[in-house]
Amino acid sequence: MNVEELVRDSLRDMAAEEPSVAPEFADRVLGVRRRRRTRRLVAAAVATTTALAVAVGVPLLDAGRQHARPAHAVQPDGVHGDTEQWPPRKEIGAGGATLAAYYSLKIHKQSAGWDLAERTYWLLDPETGRYAKDTRWSDVAVAPGLRTAAVLERTLPAHRIGLLDLTTGKVERWIPVDRGVAGLAFSEDGRRLVATTYDKNPDLVRVGSGTKGTGAFNVLDDVSRTGFFVLDVASGEGPWSGVAADRNVTYRHDFSFSRTGEQVYARIAGSRDGMQQFYDLDGNMIAAPADEKYLRSDVPARLSPNGELAALGLAKEVGPAKSYSSIRDPRTGREITKVRGAELLAWVDDHRLIAWERTTGLDGPYRARLVVVTIGSDKVVPLSGEVEPYGPSQGWTPVFARS
Amino acid sequence: MDAEAQDGFREFVAHRSSALLKTAVLLSGGDRHAAEDLLQNALIKAAGRWHRIDEPEAYVRQILYRQQISRWRLKWRRRELSVAEPPDTGTGPDASSATELRLLMRGALARLTARQRTVLVLRYFEDLPEADVARILGCSVGTVRSTTHRALARLRTLAPELTALDPAAGERQQPSRDYSPVEVRP
Repeated sequence: MNVEELVRDSLRDMAAEEPSVAPEFADRVLGVRRRRRTRRLVAAAVATTTALAVAVGVPLLDAGRQHARPAHAVQPDGVHGDTEQWPPRKEIGAGGATLAAYYSLKIHKQSAGWDLAERTYWLLDPETGRYAKDTRWSDVAVAPGLRTAAVLERTLPAHRIGLLDLTTGKVERWIPVDRGVAGLAFSEDGRRLVATTYDKNPDLVRVGSGTKGTGAFNVLDDVSRTGFFVLDVASGEGPWSGVAADRNVTYRHDFSFSRTGEQVYARIAGSRDGMQQFYDLDGNMIAAPADEKYLRSDVPARLSPNGELAALGLAKEVGPAKSYSSIRDPRTGREITKVRGAELLAWVDDHRLIAWERTTGLDGPYRARLVVVTIGSDKVVPLSGEVEPYGPSQGWTPVFARS
Repeated sequence: MDAEAQDGFREFVAHRSSALLKTAVLLSGGDRHAAEDLLQNALIKAAGRWHRIDEPEAYVRQILYRQQISRWRLKWRRRELSVAEPPDTGTGPDASSATELRLLMRGALARLTARQRTVLVLRYFEDLPEADVARILGCSVGTVRSTTHRALARLRTLAPELTALDPAAGERQQPSRDYSPVEVRP
């Protein structure tokens, strides 16, 4: 074998290993094309307006001064934000990460000492680039590509899963399930869903005296989580696997897929809160995959797209309004560098992330905004207005998806 | 793009995008996300001319190849590679099995320039003659020939174990200052 033959064999091996494209790739392409065209039209309109303003002279420039900074600014490298407000009305995202939805969490009084922690979602319409409130759903998982979401109706546990078209707002298909489901998550390729089953509503909680309204749940009830379905989205079929009861799991602890989709994991409750327990797809506890054992459930960004970097938690805070989080080698846990941001939410690409970053000093109340942070740079690019993310009403929780 | 054209486009993507992605992954040196980005941009361009394209696959492939070697792509790849861990450039005397050689080759392919890698993909994966590669890339046959030659030489420099496959070639090749930024092992 000579070098040319080895090149040929290596290229063919690489091609043969490559998994197929997600089923909604065409929708993703058309959605991106629509958004780019819209932005070009907006840019052209802005340019025309600017030209007209110059043509007619100073009075018009003065009249427009208060709008000099557009709320929805598209920047050259694909970063787009709604920097004037929170919650946002217009699409927020950068590179491959888009704020696909956000939800508020409110506690409603129920009978006999029980309260219901109920979510209300705002969902992104990928065609209009705007968020709209949709009160029909108790849980929403947005598939990669932003065209489809898996949804559960208000009464939990639910016995059917809806596949919602995010452009029309209509459920295209219902997947019936013979065990009650209360939590949903897509695999990275969007082809499978893990649906967590519970024997009662995991959002029913007892709120202890003195903690009401703070979001600090004091739950004293018995175990509720029973296992999970792994469903093929195209066929709606898939096995259910039971999971051994954990007496610490007394409220919502949903399963998610590992990076490869060969395992699932859930946040650990109790003494190692924030860490995660992995299970094989038969529901047996297993050790974490080598590149996910240092990840934490309270740092949503997890692994970089190329898998070489792990996003971890807050490393240091320096005043005023500067935080740094840790970027580690996923296999050794060794810190490689620090990056701006108090909470790393989603990877934009292999060097940039979307994060919460504080806007207030260390001695003031904690307020933050969404920003893009870059490894190796101290600069942040604001994406949203300021918010109190951990306020009395739990604020609004962002839900990111790959676009 | 009307509804009928969208249906045709969706059908094309459903049937051909996996094959196109394989090519895009090779062009991107094994970077799946860069490949999806590359394919997405090519398909967006194709969608804009859908009514006027007779052979969509050939059209998309041409965009893939040309986009990959365009100035923008080169710039973008350099930025991507700037923080990547350099692949292991050698495993010593044990690197003799076919599997190890292919792993070495993968690492070396990822470190070629986008233009060099594109030419190798066209010549050795698509099995196209030099004249067709020249037509697709909009360059001369001589340029294709010299780029192929340089790309193979660069692979041997990046992975010296490969010269064992073709000792004569190893003796012929002297690292050129134009494309030998890596240390050559003694």
